[in-house]
Amino acid sequence: MRGPGPTTRSPRVRARGATVAAFVALAPLLPASAVAVGTLKVDTALPYVCTLPSGQQPATVRITAAFPERAAVGEEIRPTDVTTTVELPAGAVADLTALGAATVRAETRLAVGVVQREQRVEAAWSGTSQPVAVPAEGPLVLTTTGDVPSLTTDVPGDLALVAGAFAVGLAPSTADGAATAPASLSVTCAPGPDAGERTRLLTLPVGADAPTTEPSPPPTSPSAPSPSAPSSGRPTPSLPPDRTTPAKPETTNGTSGAPEGPRVGRRADGGTASPAPAARPAAPPCLTGNPTPMSLSAYVTGYSNVRKQKGASLLPVSCMLIEQGLSGEPPHPAPPGEMHFFVPSTGNLSYQGRKQTPPFTSTFLSFDFQPVTATMVLEQAGPITIEALLRIFLSDFSNSTETVVRAPLVLRVLDVKVNGVELDVGPSCRTAQPLTSTDPDPARHPGKHLVLLGKGRLVNGTDAVGYLLSSGGPLTGETTIPAFEGCGAGGEDLDRLLTASISGPGNYVKQMQGQSCAVDPNAWNPLECTEDSQPLVVPKPER
Amino acid sequence: MKKPIRKLAVVAGGASAAFALAVSPASAVPSTVWTVSPAPSPVGVSATNSGNIVLSVNGIAMTCTKSAATASMSSATGNPATVASISAISFGASGAPCTSVLGNVTTVATTPWTIVAQDYTAATGVTKGYVGNVDAKVTVGACVFRVTGKASGTYTNSTGKLSVNSLAGELTVVSSTGCGAAVPVGAKPTFKGDYLVKKTGTTVIPTIVGSNP
Repeated sequence: MRGPGPTTRSPRVRARGATVAAFVALAPLLPASAVAVGTLKVDTALPYVCTLPSGQQPATVRITAAFPERAAVGEEIRPTDVTTTVELPAGAVADLTALGAATVRAETRLAVGVVQREQRVEAAWSGTSQPVAVPAEGPLVLTTTGDVPSLTTDVPGDLALVAGAFAVGLAPSTADGAATAPASLSVTCAPGPDAGERTRLLTLPVGADAPTTEPSPPPTSPSAPSPSAPSSGRPTPSLPPDRTTPAKPETTNGTSGAPEGPRVGRRADGGTASPAPAARPAAPPCLTGNPTPMSLSAYVTGYSNVRKQKGASLLPVSCMLIEQGLSGEPPHPAPPGEMHFFVPSTGNLSYQGRKQTPPFTSTFLSFDFQPVTATMVLEQAGPITIEALLRIFLSDFSNSTETVVRAPLVLRVLDVKVNGVELDVGPSCRTAQPLTSTDPDPARHPGKHLVLLGKGRLVNGTDAVGYLLSSGGPLTGETTIPAFEGCGAGGEDLDRLLTASISGPGNYVKQMQGQSCAVDPNAWNPLECTEDSQPLVVPKPER
Repeated sequence: MKKPIRKLAVVAGGASAAFALAVSPASAVPSTVWTVSPAPSPVGVSATNSGNIVLSVNGIAMTCTKSAATASMSSATGNPATVASISAISFGASGAPCTSVLGNVTTVATTPWTIVAQDYTAATGVTKGYVGNVDAKVTVGACVFRVTGKASGTYTNSTGKLSVNSLAGELTVVSSTGCGAAVPVGAKPTFKGDYLVKKTGTTVIPTIVGSNP
């Protein structure tokens, strides 16, 4: 795990050298030079219990970090030089050896409870290791470094940090560097019963008399909560262990109260400096401009056939910004034996501030002999609606969901090359109408739009499969590409040529949506979002 | 046994062999002394799910294929009596999240939860009681809700199986944002699933024995 500022790179470099070192060899590698006078050093080895494929095993997790000796109210507290070393028992090695693993790379996530008075929030300390050789015998030692969020509190008093759940993702490789099957193993660990009070990593005094190296707003009252603060009873302690955005105590009806007590900030480097533990594949930015508690973002990519060209266009990874709706009454009554909920959401494509896909290029063999390369975009002609119908079958309480995405999209042609020679289509070459599909409910949804359908289901206590509202999956449909207009330059009308080449019915579309990111801090999840709340999962197109 | 008469009536309707065992004196009076083994108490235990864990709200099922807990079991006196404190419980794992038709489900428990014993049947070695102090935050997409309450269950000494099968009304949604009518405040979720309990790091199955000396 990495600290902020000038020391950003060094711990990771040090860790690289440490990866195959024995557990005890770690201490000399710790960045003593970065530890200033007045620093609290944490160095704790804790007993954990880890759940491995072969069963539960004891493990040792060693946590090192440096903190300022004390902090002022409102002052940012930055943990530095954080490393996590887990010593997994021989049983873990056997699990890896069984897969034929020669080396293994680890990603770790330590939940750290931040407790002050009656308030509690949680931070996630993430880390990655360099590849480590799987030992022939004995324990497997993995040291990870990564990014750690900073802390602030508006309230004086001791701030305690408590180690909690520890998750390890293992990515084993065979001797020739190939991924094993399965390509990953996950190990979840919890502090063992013997850990007891030792899970308390440190207690940091926060007070008005602490050194203030930068201006910090004084508390309105020396004690919190103030009498005028909402009486929230017990603050909701069930914040996600991995949130890195400001936390607010909740009242029992879920609304936010006045900010008070400890908060976890974004990670120290602002999320810009490093590859994330699981580096996200290349994808265009997908930031939600004015997020609401209902904001989701997700990537979509896939193929769209162009039947006349006997080929398919790859629609590039595109950002979709979604406002999830609240579940409510369905537009049509449920049949006997079923209970329905209806979730109407809206979405917009987002590319460089415009409601469109990124440009994409396709090459077809036009009229079976002429290679034609076209660069195109799909532009929104109106809002995209995403309606999900949840069906609960009362006979066995299995569930299904049918999601209909309606997207009014115009296909704009930016550039065409025929046999390598530029064909000037002009600046406003596009389909005269949005792409159309047969709508399953045309009375409620008049107008021209592409219709994609996603189906998901959950049967009798098993995992849900298929397309799911927030987790993505395949969306399929069929569309008619309308005639083109505005194509051509210098008096040459290319509308009919493009219409004859491309336009027509029966074009199959299959889009894959990735896991969405819930942008709101209260719902934010590090397995689903980047640090700056973009979708973490980039889907791959499927045929 | 908290309600011995009702219990006997139910058992009497069952098989005769079970009847003969169930009316043995050991189970005829409520247990007030709860002995956890192996000694010494408290004993650190770990639990992993056996079969899927399902939380259901308004008929919407949320399935977890992985769930694990660590707890400390202690001998206790009284009735009801807290015989275990669950220090950590996870739902889902990296690469195996809990799922629902609303999308992947993230559940974060606020611990400790407890295991409370109320009734012991010596003939079967089964303790009835509940998982208490349940408090969890559940997130699905933009829908976030909090569940609190308890969940009835049984613990079987011979197998180390903790079977949780909450009764309607034991768990309550106490806050809900972004969920709409599917998960309103006041909804009564259910929690079902089995866990196998072992003394941490061993294959030893801990036992709970109730008695009334």
